[in-house]
Amino acid sequence: MIHDIYTIYLREMLRLRRQRVRLVTTIVMPLLWLGIIGNAFNNAFKTVGSSLLGGDFLSFLTPGILIMTMVFTATISGITTVFDREFGFLKEMLVAPIKRESILIGKMFGGVSQAILQGIIIIVLAIFMGVSFSGASSIPGMLLTMFLVSIAFVSLGLAVASKIKSMEGFQMIMNFLIQPMIFLSGAFYPVKTLPSWLKIFVRINPLTYGVDAMRYFAIGINEFNVILDLTILAIFSILLILLGGHFFRKT
Amino acid sequence: MQRVEKMQRQAIKIEGLVKRFNDIIAVNEVSLEINEGEIFALLGPNGAGKTTIISILATLLKPTSGRAYVNGYNVVKEAEKVRKSIGIVFQDPSLDDQLTARENLDIHARLYHIPKEERRRRIREVLEMVELYERADSLVKTFSGGMKRRLEIARGLMHKPSVLFLDEPTLGLDPQTRRHIWNYIKKLKNEGVTVLLTTHYMEEADSLADRIAIIDNGKIVVFGTPSELKDSIGGDVIKIRCSNVSKLKDRLHENGFDAKIINGEIILHVNVAEKVIPKIFSLSSGIEIHSIMYKEPSLEDVFLHYTGRAYREEEASGIDRIRMRMVRR
Ligand SMILES: Nc1ncnc2c1ncn2[C@@H]1O[C@H](COP(=O)(O)OP(=O)(O)O)[C@@H](O)[C@H]1O
Ligand SMILES: [Mg+2]
Repeated sequence: MIHDIYTIYLREMLRLRRQRVRLVTTIVMPLLWLGIIGNAFNNAFKTVGSSLLGGDFLSFLTPGILIMTMVFTATISGITTVFDREFGFLKEMLVAPIKRESILIGKMFGGVSQAILQGIIIIVLAIFMGVSFSGASSIPGMLLTMFLVSIAFVSLGLAVASKIKSMEGFQMIMNFLIQPMIFLSGAFYPVKTLPSWLKIFVRINPLTYGVDAMRYFAIGINEFNVILDLTILAIFSILLILLGGHFFRKT
Repeated sequence: MQRVEKMQRQAIKIEGLVKRFNDIIAVNEVSLEINEGEIFALLGPNGAGKTTIISILATLLKPTSGRAYVNGYNVVKEAEKVRKSIGIVFQDPSLDDQLTARENLDIHARLYHIPKEERRRRIREVLEMVELYERADSLVKTFSGGMKRRLEIARGLMHKPSVLFLDEPTLGLDPQTRRHIWNYIKKLKNEGVTVLLTTHYMEEADSLADRIAIIDNGKIVVFGTPSELKDSIGGDVIKIRCSNVSKLKDRLHENGFDAKIINGEIILHVNVAEKVIPKIFSLSSGIEIHSIMYKEPSLEDVFLHYTGRAYREEEASGIDRIRMRMVRR
C-alpha cells in the first residue's frame, strides 16, 4: 500500500518537475501582492498601523498571501485528476492491481507537496523583502498549518473534479467559492475592525482560522486562540478529505 | 486408470454476460470461451458492445448479470487477481504525455510491483520490441499516433500478462503503421500470450485472429476460425448488376437460388460459381446484365449473411475519426 502510494506520488512529482514554468508563473501573483500592495500600504499605515496590526503591514500580509497562493495551488492540483480522466491515465491506474485509496492518497500528497513547496518559496521571497519571521515564529507550526490548509483544498479539488466536468464549472468554483473564502478570511486585513455583519461571515469561514494560525506561527500575531485555530482547521480538513475520498471512490 | 488427454485450458470464459446502461442493452447474453495462447478477435461495427465486454473482463465495469472468468478468476469476486494477470491497451489513449516513454513504463512497472533490476531490463526489452528504444527518454507528447500506440502495447506487456486485451489497437492509424502493429501482435503468439482483440476492421480480424466472434447489437452472431466462417456460408459469392434487379431476383428464386438485393446488387451464395453463371445468363432474357463478379466469400459476406445488413467499415471509421479528434483535444 505504501509502495503504491509512493508510485502515484512519484508520478505527480515527475509531472511537477516538467511544469517548472507553471510553478514560476504562480509565484508572480503573490510577488505582485507583496511587492506592490504590501509595500504601498506599508507606508500608508506606518502611522496608524502598528498598533492595529501588531506590526508592519508587509509582515501582516505575508502569511495571508501565502495561504491564498497555497489554497489556489492545492485546489487546482486536486482538479487535475479530471485531466487524468480526460487523457485516460486514470484508467491505467484503475486497472492496475492497487487499491483505489492508494491512488487517492498519492494524489493528495502530490498536491500537498506542490502547495507547500510554493509556500516555502514565498517565505524565502518575503525574507528578501525584509519581512522578519523572527521572535515567535515556529517552523513546525507553520508546516503543520500549511499541511492542514493544503490537504483540505486538494481534497476539495478532488471532490469538485469528481462532480464537475467542464472548464466553466471550475471557473465557477474558483470565483464563487474559493475567492470569497479568501477575501473573507482576514488574509488582507485585520478582522477586529470589520463591521459586525461582515464579521459573521469571516467567523464562519474555516479558512479564517488557517490564516490566523499561519500569522501566529509566522510573526506571532493572532486574533483567536491558536489551539482553537488548529482544531477548527483539522476538523475542516478531515471533513474535506472524507468528502474528496467519497466522491473519488464513486468515479 | 490414467487417461491421457490433450487439455485446452480456457484463458477466458464468459457465461450469459449482460450489461445494461439505463435503457440501453450494450451486451446481451454473451457466452464465449477463449483458449490459452490463441488470438481471438471480437469483430463488429461501432456500438456493438466490444469495449463494454473488454471493460467487464478487465474489472473496470460490473456486469448486470452473467459471469466471466479470466485465468480462472471471477472478474467481480476476484478482481485484484484478475488485474494482476492481465494487460490492456485501451481504445482511447491512456499514456501520461508529460512523461517520457521510459517514465511511463517505469510507473507502470512499479504499479505491478516489478523489482528494480527487472524493471530496467523489461523496459529495454519491450521498447526494443516495438522499436522505440532510441526514443526512450523523449516526452510522449512529441510522439506520433502510431508511436503512442506502440508504446501502449509495450506497456501492456511490461508485467508479462498471460492475457492481453487490445481494444481497437490500430484505430485511426494509417495502413502502414497498422501493418507494423499487426506484426507485433503476431509475435506475441510465439510468447504464449492469449490475446483478445476488438476491431471493426475486417482485414485486421482476418489476418490476425485464430478465431473470430462477430458481434452485433450486443450479441454474438457467429464465431469460428476465419475459414470456418467463410466456408459456413457456401463456396462462392456472386454479385450481379443488371437493368432490373428485382425481376432477375424473382426468377432466381423461382429456380431455387437464395438471392438477396443489397445496395442495388444481387448477391448470391453458391457452391461453384462457374456452374451457376451460365444459368444466370439463361434466366436473364429481357434483362440487360451489366456485370457479374464472383469471389470466395470474405468476412464482409459472412457479416452480411448472418446479420442481413451490409457492413460499412468506412462509416464506422468516420465516426471514430471524429471521436479520436475529440479525445486528442
Ligand atoms: N458508460 C456508458 N453509458 C451509457 N451507454 C454506454 C456506455 N458505454 C457504452 N455505452 C453504449 O453501449 C453500447 C456499446 O458500446 P461499446 O461497448 O463502446 O461498443 P463498441 O466498443 O463495440 O464500439 C453503445 O450503444 C454505447 O453507446
Ligand atoms: Mg469500442
